[in-house]
Order: sequence, then structure tokens, then C-alpha cells
Amino acid sequence: MIRFDKVGKRYASGHDALSDLSFEVAAGEMVFVTGHSGAGKSTLLKLIGLVERPTRGQVVVNHADLARVRRRSVPHARRGIGMVFQDHRLLTDRTVFDNVALPLLIAGVAREEIGKRVRAALDKVGLLAKEKAAPVTLSSGEQQRVGIARAIVAKPPVIIADEPTGNLDPQLSAEIMALFAEFGQVGTTVLVASHDLMLVRRLGKRVLVLDHGRLIDDFRPQGKPA
Amino acid sequence: MSRTIARNVRKTSPTPGKGAEPKLPRAPWRARLAGWRDQHFYSFFSSLGRLAARPWATILTVLVLGFALALPLLFFLVFDNARALSGGLREAREISAFLKPTLDAPAAAALAGELRQRADVAEVLVRTPEQGLAEFRQLSGFGEALDVLKTNPLPSVLVVTPRAQGDVDNPPLVAQLKSDARVDLVQYDAAWRRKLSEILHFAERMVAVIAALLALATLLVIGNTVRMDIQARSEEISVMQLIGASDGFVRRPFLYAGLWYGLLGGVFALLIVGTVEFALAAPLANLSESYGHRFTLHGVDAPSAFAVVLASALLGWLGAFVATARHLAAGMPQE
Repeated sequence: MIRFDKVGKRYASGHDALSDLSFEVAAGEMVFVTGHSGAGKSTLLKLIGLVERPTRGQVVVNHADLARVRRRSVPHARRGIGMVFQDHRLLTDRTVFDNVALPLLIAGVAREEIGKRVRAALDKVGLLAKEKAAPVTLSSGEQQRVGIARAIVAKPPVIIADEPTGNLDPQLSAEIMALFAEFGQVGTTVLVASHDLMLVRRLGKRVLVLDHGRLIDDFRPQGKPA
Repeated sequence: MSRTIARNVRKTSPTPGKGAEPKLPRAPWRARLAGWRDQHFYSFFSSLGRLAARPWATILTVLVLGFALALPLLFFLVFDNARALSGGLREAREISAFLKPTLDAPAAAALAGELRQRADVAEVLVRTPEQGLAEFRQLSGFGEALDVLKTNPLPSVLVVTPRAQGDVDNPPLVAQLKSDARVDLVQYDAAWRRKLSEILHFAERMVAVIAALLALATLLVIGNTVRMDIQARSEEISVMQLIGASDGFVRRPFLYAGLWYGLLGGVFALLIVGTVEFALAAPLANLSESYGHRFTLHGVDAPSAFAVVLASALLGWLGAFVATARHLAAGMPQE
């Protein structure tokens, strides 16, 4: 579902964010990407989300070689990827419902269908009762769950999350991660960047470890079934 | 398609061109149409909501636009009325020959008869001193003063309409009339009329240039307003782009906003013009009355008003389009 083949990314400043990175994530697999800050986690996610283009190598997402996605088709390609951000990036001037509905509106889903699917997504993250609330009135954990509902509402085959628990306490972090693990079980490919190695180990999913833009480890923590 | 890519996956530099773009299942066209309609509803109302959310800023913008659009409209109206007023003058080519006061009516008629024989004369009208006096009495308003006069001081006048041919500015007929001993004074204003025509032509061009400049100002005002709106919403735009919004989707609410600005500005401009017309109507009517109702004020008729609003709405749309174009590139991967 996601394949990196000898991928390198050098920014205009000359800094090599990623070098010679190769890995593959199967459909329905959940993978964590860890590493110290500046190791290239964010760059990796940006390449998948078509925010940046690689300077070397090939990235394949959803069976599509991203190098062949022309600018005009970038929005369409992004609709196949649900993105969750560290600071959730909700639109503060609209309700929870409208925030979650946005990807469906963008994809041109009809109004009658939108209501059903938004409520299904909110139900999945346990926020059905808050659909009319303004995002600022929610706790940060709840805000992040709205962000996740927005990422999954259009049922994208791939979900990527950049430090989704970065601003949350351990209890909330564990809840959010458990939520991501659930999506993997319904066939969605999930890639989560996180520096919280303790939490990542506990979940027992495959872990990619980056260091200075190189893949230094690719393992599955023992002791727990996947 | 996925198999082709899988086979190509080892190539480190894939040849661009042949589209191997991600294909997501597309909804049937009826559902897509409904979705498209919903997107427009969304843009339509969200743009209105944005304007309503900042009423003062919106009103201020609309006022500026209204004045910018009203000025060329007013120029145009003044010009249009001046042209209508001068319309009769521009066409007239008559030569007025004032005869010597000593010449009596039969002699005047004889001269008229001579002139009628000429090939370059289309028509000759004889105006007796009595007719002249009556006309003067009516037009000048000095009727009572004229009653004081014991004799009619006016001469006979021959109004000669030449056939259009040769030198229109200075036909030989004029020279011959001038040299005729029976003629006191020849008045022929072709040259002056042509100057008037040129002045009007110049005014027409000036109105067009000013209108173009102010249209550009309108474009800039709307463009700048939308640009500030975009800056205030740059976070929202980048989120929308990240979750797959097309350029069109991001742009549409701003285009609608530009359309609204233009539309409201156009309506306000018409209000200004209407107010000016109203303020000028009464004194102008009085003025016109004293000149024997030879002049009526033309206002903006319904089709022109509609055209003005339509044009300003289009200008607004265009201004917003230009303003959004630059910002959209920012959310996209650098090629």
C-alpha cells in the first residue's frame, strides 16, 4: 500500500532529510515511525501526503507512483489519504460536524450521504454527542479525536498521522493510539509518526526507526500479538 | 494498472507523462452532480456568511467600490446628455445670409429665386423680418422690451441649405454670398460644428479612459480585499488543500465573495447616480423650461443599470480570481 524505494529528500538548503530509504507497508498494516526529532519522520509523511516531492527514488501509495501525479491531480490523490496532525488543525469557525464533513464536501459527496457518514465517523471516535459543538469548547483529546474523525470519514485506504499524541497526556495518548489500531483491523493502512517509543512498544505493532534520515531498524516488539 | 506500476517499481527515475495516477472509485454522475451542486451551495452561503461576519469591512469596501464605479457612470451620463443636446447642431449645415436692411421683401424673394437655380443649393427659406421678430420674442424672453421699439430692426434672412459636395468647411457658395452686394452678413458654422464634434469625440475618449482606469481600481480594490481575506484564512486554506480540496474548491468562496463585492458595489453606484440625478432634476427642469424645453435629462435606463451591475459583478469575480491565483500555488508540492 505504501512503498518507498531508495528514496532521498534533500531540501533546497542542502540538508538531507531522508537518504536511501526503502520499506514497504502492506494493505491493512499498522506501522509506527519513530526517531528523534529531525530524524526525517515528518519528511517521510510529507512525501506520502504529496506536500513534498522526493529528490531521489520512488514513492508508491495506493498503487500509484507519486512522481507521476501531476499538480492538477494532487488534490485527488490526497483524498485517498487521511491526514491527522499533531495540532489537529481544525477549522475553529465551524462546528465539529462541519469540520468532519469537509472531506466529503470536497470529494463531492451528496448532502444526504454526508450526514450519515459524518455521524458514523463521530460515533467511531466517541463524539457523536458533540457534533454541534465548536472545536474550541472541546478538550485537546476530544479535538484530536475530531481530527481523526475528519481523517477517516471519507474512508481513505491510507491514514497518516504526524505525532497525533504529541500534546496529550499518557492516558489520552494510549486511547488515541488504540483508536488507530482499530482502523488497521478494518483494512486501512495506518502510518503513525511518534517519538513516544514507550507507547509504541506497548501496542506491539511494526516499528520503523529513523536516524538522520536513514532507516536503522524495522522490527515488531515481541510479547504481544499484532 | 497497479500491476504495471509494480513491475516498474525498481526504476528509480520513472518516465513522466503516461498517466499512472491514483484512481479512487468515482461516484455515479447523478451523485457527482448533486455533490457539485452542494459544493456551490456551500461556497455561495459561506461567502455570504464571511461578508456578513465583518459587516463594517464589507460596507466600507462596497462604498469604495460604489464611488469608484459611480464616477465613470456620471461622466458617461454628462457626456451622453451633451451629445444628445448637440445632436441637432452637429447635423445642421445651413448657411444663414442676413440681407441688407434696405432690401424689401420682393427683392429678398428675387435673391432666393436666384439661389434656388444653383446646382449646389438644395433649399432656400426666406424669413421675413416679421417672422424673425416673432421668433426672437419667443426665444429671448425680451418680448416686452421689444414692444418699445417703433420699427422692426431685423433684416430678412435667407436660410440656404447647400447640397453636400466638395469643400464642406468652406463651400464657394459662402464666398459668393459674402461678395453679393445685397447680403449684409453670412453665417456658416460648419468649422465650428466640426470643432464641437471633435470636442465631443475627445470627451467620449476621455470618459472611456477614466472608466477603464476606475474599472482597474475596482479590480484592485476587490483583489486586495480578497487577498487580505485569503491571508486571514491561510491556515484554513492549507488544511483544505491537505485534505484534498481542489484549487476550484478553495477558490470558489473567494470568487463568490468577489462577485458579491462587485454586485453590491454596482448597486451602490447606481444609487449614487440616482441620487445625483434626483438632486439635479429640479434645477435642470427649470433651466430647460427657460430654454423652451429643448433639453431633457437622460438617466440610466433599466438595461444599462443591469449591464452596470453585471459588469461590476464580473469585475469582482475577476479581481478575486487574480488574488487567489498566487496563493493556491503555495499549498502544492514544488515541482
